Order: sequence, then structure tokens, then C-alpha cells
Amino acid sequence: MERLPPPMLWLYRGALVVYPLRLRFKYREQMLQTLRDAYRDRNVGAIHFWFRIYKDLAQSSFTERFNMMRDFVFKAPIAFHTAALALVLTLLGGAVAITMQQMLRRGANQPQIDMAQWYAGEIGAGEAPGNVIPPGYVDLERSLQPFVIFYDEQGNPGPGTGYLEQRIPVPPPGVFDFVRIHGSENVTWQPRSGVRIASVVRRINSKTPGFILAGRSLRLVEEQESLLWRIVMGGWVAVMVLLLAGASLLNRAQRVKPSVA
Amino acid sequence: MRKADSIKPAAIKPGDILPLSPVVFSILLALAASEKHGYAIMKEAALPEGGGVIMGPGTLYGSLDRMMRSGLVEETGITDNERRRYYRITTFGSEVFRAEAARLARVVGAVRRKAVLEGVR
Repeated sequence: MERLPPPMLWLYRGALVVYPLRLRFKYREQMLQTLRDAYRDRNVGAIHFWFRIYKDLAQSSFTERFNMMRDFVFKAPIAFHTAALALVLTLLGGAVAITMQQMLRRGANQPQIDMAQWYAGEIGAGEAPGNVIPPGYVDLERSLQPFVIFYDEQGNPGPGTGYLEQRIPVPPPGVFDFVRIHGSENVTWQPRSGVRIASVVRRINSKTPGFILAGRSLRLVEEQESLLWRIVMGGWVAVMVLLLAGASLLNRAQRVKPSVA
Repeated sequence: MRKADSIKPAAIKPGDILPLSPVVFSILLALAASEKHGYAIMKEAALPEGGGVIMGPGTLYGSLDRMMRSGLVEETGITDNERRRYYRITTFGSEVFRAEAARLARVVGAVRRKAVLEGVR
């Protein structure tokens, strides 16, 4: 029968990367020789032969890896249980941290939702925006106070209390397009680098149509989020260190044989 | 292969690791008569009288490795070259093989007695 074409041999050699490293290191040359012999003596077509060989490689790789993992569990139960516990604690801690972060972030919208609703209701009832929105000056860059701004149907700023560099900033037109269709939107707005605003925009349909935007700097919330993640990471490292120390002590205690009196 | 994987032969009896998987039994059967290299084992296992187990190099060497660690087979140390090493069954492997063969014979006997298969003598 014909000899194994070198490209096919190289291909199989490359595919052996899926085989567990220890076995590959120990048996690769024997496996390749067995493949050469099997190809030379094959009594099936080339396609059938290669399909069978690669299927065997995939199956045996999975089986051997599974067996190795099972052996590891039996031989090192403490290490396995420590790893499993670490994984569970990490997932649990991550879930709690993400929940807390979401609560913080959603809480950042709370006064703005009420404000936007109230102002939209008043203007929608026929009040002029200038009469409803009180005079005020909130510097978006420095202040943590909430502010409110009215925009007309075209998105031009009207009366408002939020200023950036002494001008009322305007959100991207896409925000107004979205609110025209959906009625309202909660959006993190960055009018300038380093200035991030948790804003709530509502549509106003009245004799003075337009939009009301209520916003507040995210600086405090982001500082709280940053602190939260530092605490979470510190706690995670401390728990992992304790877990490893506990596992190490347990492992040592198991290895110490009782003395014979 | 299942039970034999990580058990030291000195600590167990041959019957303790039965039943063997078809792959392990076919490899032991192939090595029962004489020592062989990998491809010869694979070829003999594929024959109907060898168990009809068709395997590739991945299954063969993975199984041989576990069988060596379980003390069922060993390398002879004789090689045609580095790529073709010879394997032989150990004393413990022979005991396990005989125990499995006896178990299978009892199963086949039961099949015959119950006439489950027509024409089986």
C-alpha cells in the first residue's frame, strides 16, 4: 500500500496539540509510527481512514483529559475542593458586588426621574418652561447638585439650571430622536471628557413641545463604585489567602502520621 | 479501564477491577500470546477474534499508559527504534485477563443456556 503523505503526517502531528501534554510528550513518536503503519495497511478509503483517525483523536483526547481530572480529584481531594470552593465564593462574591454596583448606579437616577416627571407634567399642563424651571446655576464640572434643562422640539436649549463652561450643554441629537419615539430615556451623558452625568430625558407633548432633561454628576456614584470594587477585591484576596492557608494546613495535617507509642 | 486506572496491583485482587472495558480486554488479549508493538496490538484488536475493537493511536496509547500505571502491561525495553516500542502483559495483567475471560465465559454460558441467541452453540 502507499506511504503516508508527509503533509498528512504534519497535519496529524499538529492536531496532536489537543492530546494531553504528558501523553503527547511520551508517545508522540510512537503514535506517528503507528499512524504510518496503519495508513500503509489500511483496507478502507483515505477519507474513511482519516475520519476514523481524527474521530479517535478527538474522543481519546476528551477521555484522557477527563480521566486525568478524575484522577486529580481522587488523588488530591483537598486541592479539588479548595478550587471548587474558591470558584463558588468568587462567583457568589462577584454576583453580590455586581448587584450592589447596579443598586448604586440605579440609585444615581432616582432624584432625576422624579424631577423629570414633575417638570414634564407641569410644562405638559400648559405652564411655560421659564415659569416652571427656577433660576439657578449648577456647574456640571464641579457640583454634585441635580439640575434641569428644557430643550425645544429641535433640541435647542431653553431655560435650565445646568451649565458647563457657562453655557447650557446639549446632548447628542440621537438622544432626542430616541425619546421622540420612546417617550423617555435614562442615559449616561458625557458632555466633556471627565464629566459624566446620570440623566433622565422625557418627552413633552403640549403647546410647548420639547424635552426635559434632569441630571446629576456621576462623580460621587463612581467614587462609591470604585470604593466598592476595591473592598470587593481586597475581600476576595483575603478570602483566597485564608482558603489556601486552610487547605495547606489541612493537607499537612493529613500527611502527618500518628506516632506509635 | 475504569476501575483499573489508579489502583496499585499490590493492593487489589484481579477480580476487583472487573469488568474491563473492551479496549483494555482487547489489548490484553493481543498481548496474551506475545509481546507486541503499538500497531501490532491495534491490528490484532481490530480482528474479529481479537475483539473487533477498532481504535486509533490516541485511544491505544492513552489506554496503554493507564494500563502501565495500573500494572497490567509494561514496556519490554526492546525497540526496533524509538518509534516502535514493544509491550508485554505482566503477571498481574495475566491474572486480570484470565479473571475477565472466565467472567465472560460465564456470561456466554448463561446466554447459551437461556438460548437467547439462536444458533449459538
